[in-house]
Parts: sequence; structure tokens; C-alpha cells
Amino acid sequence: MTDDTLDEDRIRDLEARVAQLPREIEPPADSWIAIRKGIAEDKRTSRPSVRIWQRPVYLAAAALLLVAGSSVVTAIALGRRAPSDSGVAVASRDASRPQGAPATLAEFTLVENEYISTVNRLSESLESEDMQLAPETIAKLRESLRVIDEAILEARRALAADPANKELVEMLSTSYNHKLDLLRRTTEMGRS
Amino acid sequence: MRTLRTVRRAVVLAVVGASSLGAQTKVNRGLPLNSDAAIRIYNSVGTVRVVGWNRDSVNVRGVLGKGTTLHMGGGRAGIKMFVEGIDDRNPAPANIEVSVPARSKVWVKTATADIEVTGVTGSLDLYVVGGKISVNGNPADVNAEAIDGSIKVVGSPGWMRAKSASGDVTLDGSSADVTISTVSGKIDADGMGFEKAKFETVTGSIRFAGSFRRGGLVNFDTHSGSVEVGVSSGSPADFDVVSIAGPISNKLTSGRPVAGRYGRGAELTTSSGNGGTRVQIRSFKGPVSLIKID
Repeated sequence: MTDDTLDEDRIRDLEARVAQLPREIEPPADSWIAIRKGIAEDKRTSRPSVRIWQRPVYLAAAALLLVAGSSVVTAIALGRRAPSDSGVAVASRDASRPQGAPATLAEFTLVENEYISTVNRLSESLESEDMQLAPETIAKLRESLRVIDEAILEARRALAADPANKELVEMLSTSYNHKLDLLRRTTEMGRS
Repeated sequence: MRTLRTVRRAVVLAVVGASSLGAQTKVNRGLPLNSDAAIRIYNSVGTVRVVGWNRDSVNVRGVLGKGTTLHMGGGRAGIKMFVEGIDDRNPAPANIEVSVPARSKVWVKTATADIEVTGVTGSLDLYVVGGKISVNGNPADVNAEAIDGSIKVVGSPGWMRAKSASGDVTLDGSSADVTISTVSGKIDADGMGFEKAKFETVTGSIRFAGSFRRGGLVNFDTHSGSVEVGVSSGSPADFDVVSIAGPISNKLTSGRPVAGRYGRGAELTTSSGNGGTRVQIRSFKGPVSLIKID
């Protein structure tokens, strides 16, 4: 239940690519809102007392909202795709992507912070609460989370090497959704 | 002497058997219920069998393990029942069969108890941690979730959601709207007329054999598991296959995969049956194959 980080070679490679990017670009419209929210949440989480929204039920709801939000974005993306004209299917994948959906590594990083934050809270909740789960179930849960983490790491590395690959961004989002959904479901089931 | 030992053993076995039977409790209870009532069942360990019948009542029969009690109550619009044990950490198993009005809305939750549902045409919400879920029939909708248990649906629910982590999920039938998701469990879907469907896994394999309804949207997603999509000839489909690092094989149409647009992997765009249903297959490194079935 840990999060993955890039190794130094990857970071250097990423830095070299970043150095080639233009010095100034317009930020995505909702960046500051997300950043302010993130800073505010960090301040709150640094306090030792357990706040009401940190209770598992609220965390599970938050995970559900995040998964649902991501699914809505995906659904919009899929729904806007042309139903036929298979000859231009690849082009339509890009054209149909909604403006707000992350399409690059840089854009995905903003969303990823929210994923990681929610995953961490759910993981902490699972470990700290008195869950009614058998040891063998916990072992299988950990194994499933390890499988997802490996997929995330692999997709993350591929995306670092190919930051504009929109398919990889979607695959990474899907893997995070798998992890959030599994943590949320386990939290709910374990508290019966 | 030998005869004496045999008699002694028989007496001991009879006493042990009697005491073990005495530790269990048989249950047989019933309550009147509306034909579309809501029913909630919780049983941690053992089995839960739910059978739809054509009566406006609910009946519970079964055997409860030592120290367990069945609590049950409610009105005609809905009832709740749960099996409670003395020791929550090590509960004795309870095996119950619940007959419910066929059109009722059924909710069942267990830890390791298997859930088996037959003949319910209402809605089903089924949750297990480590047990198996089995559904037979044509419920209006099915939501089945497991952590490491398997899920099997035989029939044609109108709407279906099935999720497991390491358990396998099988659909033998069809559904106009289906989503099946696993982490490492296998997904096996066999049926006709899929319209809106999503099959996704991380490392498990996906095997689909059937046909699509025109105008539909079907997705297959995997990280490293294999994806085999078998389609009957004439089934309308516009395939859009993307693989980052896995091979793509096409034995369905004459289309051939090309190099991926990002300089890696492969992509395939092809149609069968004059197209009309968008089928998107996305794989990171799992092999993808399209095949023709008859």
C-alpha cells in the first residue's frame, strides 16, 4: 500500500525533456483551484486529531466520487467519439477528448496527486481500523494491491518516457481507479 | 472382545453425533411480504441460497451452527434478517435457504459464505469477501462484488455490474448493459446481443465469445492479461485496438495491425458485419486477438 516514485535516471530524463519545453504556457483553467484545495487539505492532514471527513465512510465516499468523476470524464470522452467511420478512429480518439481531461504527463500529475492522496487515506484507514477481515483475505488484498501498483509503476515509467501518449494517460487512470475501487470496497465490506 | 470394542465405538460415535446435532439449530420461519418487497440478508459464514417463488411471503429454512441465532423482522414492504454468532471472530456456519417473491429486491452480504440465487426477477445486490456468488435466471439488475471470491451469472440480467479482485467472473448469457472488472481474476463472457459493455482487468485474462447489438459501445481494457474477442460472423463491430507493448492478432477480418502512432506498440482499426458498434480494446502489454466464432 505504498506509492511509487520515479528513479533518478527517470527523473533526469524527465528533466531533460522538461528543459526542452517552452518557458511559459497558459495553465489549465482549474489549476489554482486544485492547488489551493491540495494545500488546504495538506494543512488539515498535518493535524494530529482525526477529523470527521477522515472517517472511513467519508473516505470511501471521496474515493467513490473520484472514481465516478474520472468515469464521467471517460464516459464523456467515449460518448463523444464517432460511432463509425473506422478509418479515422485513431484521429477521433484525440478529437473527441474533452478539454478538461488530462492528456499529458504534466496534466495527469495534477489528477494523480488527488488519486495518491485518497489512496493514502484509504490505506491508512484500512490498516488502522479494526477490520473484520480474515488474515488470508488481507494477504490476497495486499497481493491485488501489489499487482495494481506494478501496473501503475509500469504505465508511469512508460508515460515518463512518452509524456504525450494519451493512451498511457488513460491506462494509468484506469489502474488508479482499480486501486481506489478495491480499497473503497474493502473498507466498506470490512466494516460490516 | 472385538465385538465389545465395536459396540463401544458405536456408542461413542452415537453420543458424539447426537451432541453435534444438538449443537445445531434447525430453523423454519415465514412472514407475509409484498411481491416487490425489499429483503436484506446477512450471514457471515456458511451458505445463503435465495430462491424466487410465486408467493407473497418469505420463508427461511436451514441449519444454524452452535451458538448462532437468526434475527428476522420487518413489514410487508421489506424485511431484514441476519445470523448472529457468539464469537464474531470465529463464527459457526449457518446454511440457510430463503424463498422470496420472485420480483423482490434482494440484498445479501456475507464474509465467506457462498451466495446462490435462483429465479429472482427483481434486483440483486450481492456482496462477499471470500465466498462465491452464483446467479441463475434473469433478474432486472445484478450488482455483485467480491474481494477474492468468484462470481458466476448464468442468464440475462437487464443490467449487470460484477467486480472481484482475484476471483474469476463469468457471464453465460447476455445483458444490454454490463460491466465486469477484476484485478487478477479471469473474465469470461459468453452470450449474444451485447450493447453497452465494459470488461476490464489488470493482469487477468479476458475471453469474450458472442455478438454485439448495432449502435452499442463495448470496451475491453487490460494491463497485461490476454484479451481474446471471438465474434460471430455478421455481428456489427468497428474495432479500435491499441496496444502499447503487446501483440495484436486478427483472424476475424482482413485488417492488419500497424505500428502505434506514438512510435511504439501496435494499433488495429477494422470492421466486421458492416460495422455499427464501437468496440474499443486497450492493452498495455497483454496480447490481443480477434477471432471468428460460429
